[in-house]
Order: sequence, then structure tokens, then C-alpha cells
Amino acid sequence: MGKSVRRMSVVAGAIALALGGCGSKHDDSTIVIGVVTAQTGVLASYDQPSLAGFRMSIDEINARGGLGGKHPVKLLVRDTRSDTATTAAAAQELVDEGAKIMITPCDADPSIVAGQVTQPAGVPTLTFCGSSPILPGAVGDMMFTTYPTDNLQAAALAKHAYETGLRKVYLLVSPDTTYTSGLPEYFGKVFTNLGGTVVGKGSFSMNQPDFSVAVTTIRNLKEQPDLIMTAAYEPDFPAFVRQLRAAGVTTPVFGADALGTPTIAGLGELANGVVFTSAGCATPGSKLEAFNQQFNKVTGHLPSSAYEVNGYEIGLLLDAAVKSATSMSGPAIRDALDNLENFEAVTGTITYRGTQRIPVRSVALLRYEGGKAQCLQSVTPAASEIPAPL
Amino acid sequence: MLLQHVVNAISLGGIYALLALGLAIVFSIVGLINFAHGELMTIAGYTTLGALLFGVPFPAAVLLAIATTAVAAMAMERIAFRPMRGASVTSLLLTSFAVSALLKVIFQNGLSARPQPLAMPQWMTGSYQVGNVAIGVGPTISIVISVVALVGLELFLRRTVTGTAMRAAAEDFPVVRLMGIAAGRVIATAFALSGVLAGIAALLWVAQRASVDPLMGAVPVVKAFIATVVGGLGSLPGAVVGGLLLGAIEIGLDAVLPPSVVPYRDAFVLSGVILILLFRPQGVIPAATVRRG
Repeated sequence: MGKSVRRMSVVAGAIALALGGCGSKHDDSTIVIGVVTAQTGVLASYDQPSLAGFRMSIDEINARGGLGGKHPVKLLVRDTRSDTATTAAAAQELVDEGAKIMITPCDADPSIVAGQVTQPAGVPTLTFCGSSPILPGAVGDMMFTTYPTDNLQAAALAKHAYETGLRKVYLLVSPDTTYTSGLPEYFGKVFTNLGGTVVGKGSFSMNQPDFSVAVTTIRNLKEQPDLIMTAAYEPDFPAFVRQLRAAGVTTPVFGADALGTPTIAGLGELANGVVFTSAGCATPGSKLEAFNQQFNKVTGHLPSSAYEVNGYEIGLLLDAAVKSATSMSGPAIRDALDNLENFEAVTGTITYRGTQRIPVRSVALLRYEGGKAQCLQSVTPAASEIPAPL
Repeated sequence: MLLQHVVNAISLGGIYALLALGLAIVFSIVGLINFAHGELMTIAGYTTLGALLFGVPFPAAVLLAIATTAVAAMAMERIAFRPMRGASVTSLLLTSFAVSALLKVIFQNGLSARPQPLAMPQWMTGSYQVGNVAIGVGPTISIVISVVALVGLELFLRRTVTGTAMRAAAEDFPVVRLMGIAAGRVIATAFALSGVLAGIAALLWVAQRASVDPLMGAVPVVKAFIATVVGGLGSLPGAVVGGLLLGAIEIGLDAVLPPSVVPYRDAFVLSGVILILLFRPQGVIPAATVRRG
């Protein structure tokens, strides 16, 4: 009896060895990445494509042996349903389950609550495409933004507007999020510095599709603006532009990166002339175009926006950070990420060194014509042109 | 500018009135505040979208959407609310929340979490001149359709047997049943009518917002609820007045408040609602009901 038990244990050990020591490898070198993002609800339009790109890069990285070539990634994904409280709970859950790195939604508020969980736990945290420049400062040294921030986008847009001869802007803001309130304010600042004027400012409540008063006000402005700038996005932006054009106002509308979605493109004629920003522009022969083709091959459809490539680049950034990190501890990975300089990503180079965890990178400007986004130019505003975070 | 605001107020108020009326018809007969009413709008939106994608001509798509919504409302009653008949107002309310949450998740996971653009025909997006002010075609259509729908409903309630039975049921359901009118038919008709009204309101709502998404019913149903409470819960004329009043208050505040305060408009609106209810606790036009001890 005793003999058979020993034999069995030998057999069991052999099986374990034959399986390549999966168990022990999992414990030592696997990195768990927690993804608490909105796969349903209002933020899903941004978090879904971001996650698709991120998954693609993690799959490629795992095929190469993992982050830094030796740390396979295990993704733990939770849907926050675009709810801030759920985001906090899910982040706590994933930290408890051993997440070493955390990815948070495309918005400042849920990212901040998730950051309040990950910051004390020493877990480096990256927001998918949350673009508020105050985000890293609001949370602490573990929090990174990845997308071109609001003030950077606004600087690029304002410069473009001024250079194309537009001089008078009407700003439409909503205090409901930092994105919808901050971005137009940054735009106004840069635009006035350049010599333009803000002829008026209106506000709206998100998710209330009646823009009739805002539109009537704009129509009846004594001094008609050359352009209207807003950071409204879906479902508010379609409602606004629909009612604006219905009232016969043909003033060009400038928006920000959240307009780079199939919903806005699907507005067709209605969105004609709308200028917006993006992380990159897929010009023929560019790395981004190659990425788009590869994404198509992997998922069966082309990327719907620039959020896919941004999610993909987050994987690349983590890979580079882990490669140069002194250990696999959260703070060591954080330090390595914070020191990345001129990292060659897909849309261009990305630098974190000395930037307070806000990436320095280029901003692409695009314009809708006939339901298609056309590249205008790629801009890297100088540090002096970027307004300080509000 | 004032005329434009007035047109906007009537147009928005008209949509609220249609929605509030849908809630009120059902409430007056079965004592249910149907919070899944918003999801009926979502169904109308997606049906229109789907029909247009399949190349159905616009007028047919509109009729199809309204018919589908009416059927969906009746199905909702059959599946979720009939087993609860006679339950307390609270149980019914919770059931309607459950139906609403369930449908939202089904739309999100089954269709798409993203808003889908839905372009209304070009002729609906223009504007025309009256004197020196431009009036939008959209708001005008919205007002005309609201009026036609309200008049149509009034005729139905006054001139048909079922309509008369429904008005009677709203006041005293047991007596209507004693008169030999089938309760099931009255209730099903009430839901079908609320579906038709939700369908019409949804199309006007979608025409404004140019997209359909799984959560699009959430805001309007709350507005409709406020309107029915202001007008007088269960009172049909009250729902119409409540809806128009709410639209007028919202547009009025938007126009009058300084831009920095406008985002907090809803706080003012709700304060106004509390004020109205302080003076008229049963609503502006209270429902006429027979109460038995």
C-alpha cells in the first residue's frame, strides 16, 4: 500500500514535470493585468475598441513569451457598465485577485476611483483613452494617461483653426464631465493667445437631446462665430449638429477625439466639415495603416476608431516597461514606464520621461466629408503652446 | 427669438405630453407606473433603424415601428404584468423596473452598446421663414404630429365603445366589469395605446437626436413620469398639460438662466415641480376616481 502511494506520487510528479511545470511558472513569472473597463453603457463606444486593440497586443506579446519576452500575461477583464461605483468595486476585486497592472476606462471619473484603489496598492494604472490632463495628478504616481490629453488636443485644434483663417469661436461646454467642460476651455485659451476671440459660450446637459435653446442662441448671436467648438460626443453630438443644421446654421463645428467613431461617421452629410482629433492618421504606407490591416486580419473587421491602436500601444508600452524594469514589483514597473523616452509606437513616438505621466505624442487632425474621416495634418504642439491643466 | 423659443417649447412639450399620456393611460386603468415605457421607445427606434437598413421606405418604416411598439407593449403586459394583476402599486412598479433593466441589457448585449446613427429624411431637417424668424421643419412636424395624436386619442376615447369603456375603467374599473366588458381587453387596449404613443414619441425624439442606443429611453421616461405627476397621476388631460408645462419650463429656464447655471436647470425644474405639488398635491388636473372604503 505504502509502495503504491509512493509510486503514485512519482507518477504525479512526472506528469507535473511533463506539463512543463505550468503551476510553478504561473506563480513566478505570470503577470496578471486587471482590465476594469466599460464594455456596456455610455463609455462602451470607447472602451470596447480600446480593449479589442489591447487584447490583440497582449495575444501577440504572449506568443512571443510574454511581457519583456518572459512574463506571460493573464488578463482579468471586468465590465463596469459605465458605472463609477462598479468600477471601484471591480478594481478592488482585481487587486485582491493579484492584478499587478490595472487598465481603467476612457474617462477621468471612473479612472480616478479605480486609481484610489490601485494607488495605495502600488499597482501601475493606465487609462485606455481617458484624456484629462489632471488625471495623473488627481490620483498619484501610479496613474498614467496614454491618449493625447485634452489640453494637447485643444492646442492642436486651436492652432489649426487659427491657421485656416478662423478668428471667432463659440464654445459649447457641459460641466458634467472634465472632458466636456475642460477641452473647449483649453481651446478658448490657446485660440485667444493666438489672436482669436471667443464670441460666446453656451452650455448643455449630457444625455438631454434638446439643444433648441443653444441653437437658437447661436443663430441669434450679434457677432456670428467662424466656428463652434464643443467636446460633446454621442449621443449629444449627433443631436446638437442635427438641430444646428436644421436651424440653417452652417458654421463649421470643431470637436475632439470622441467624434472618431462609426456613429459620427454614420451621420453622413450631417457631419460634413466637422474637424476632430485622433491619436493617429492612417496615411498610405504608415505604420498605422499596417496595424489596421493586421487588426482586420485578426478580428475580421477594420478598426472603428483610433482607440484600437491606442489600446494596442498600451500593450507595447507595458512590454517595453517590463523589459527595462529592475523587478516585477508594481513600483519597479511604474518607474520603468515613467522613464520611457522616444518609444517607437504605431502612431509615432511616445515619451513619459519628465512629463508627469502624461505622454508627449503627436495629435492627428481629421475632417469628415461624406461620412469618411480625412486626414488633415499631424501636429505636435510645442510645450509652450499647451495650456496648463485647469 | 421669442417665437422660436415658443415653437421649441411646444415641440418639446408635445413629445413629453405623448409620453406622459402613455404612462397615464396605463396607470389610470391598472395602477401601474410603467418605467419600461422608455424601452418601448427604444424598440421603436431600433425597429425604424432595422427597417430602413432593409430598404423599407421611410413611411412604411415609421408605421412598422409604431405597430411593433404597440405589439411589444401588449406582450410586455401579457408576459410581465398580467401575472402581477391585483398586486400592490409598489410590486407593479418594481416589476416595471425589472422589465426595463432586462430590456436594456438585452439591447446592449444583443444589439450593440454603441449608439447607431439614424438619419431622418432630408426634408425633415430644414427650416422655413415666418416673417424674419426661421422655424425648423422638425419642431413643426413634432407639434403637428403631437396634436394629431392627441386629437386622435380623444376621438377614440369619446367615440368608440372600447374608448368609453376605458374612460369608465379609469374612474371605476369594477363597475365596468360588472357591465360585461372584458377586463383583459380594456387592459390590452390601454397597453397597445401606450405603445402607439411611445412609438410616435420615439420617432420625434430620434428625429432630434439622430441616433438610437440601448439607453435612449432612460431620460424620456423620467420626464414623462414628472409630467404625469405634475398633471395629476392617472388623469389624461393632466398628462397632456403636465407634459406641455414641463417642456415650457425647461425651454424657458434654458433661455432665461445665465449659461453658467443652465447645466443645473433640472434642479430648478424639480424645485418648480415641488412648488406646484405643494399648492396642488393631486396635480394640476387631478384624476377623477371613485374611491371605495
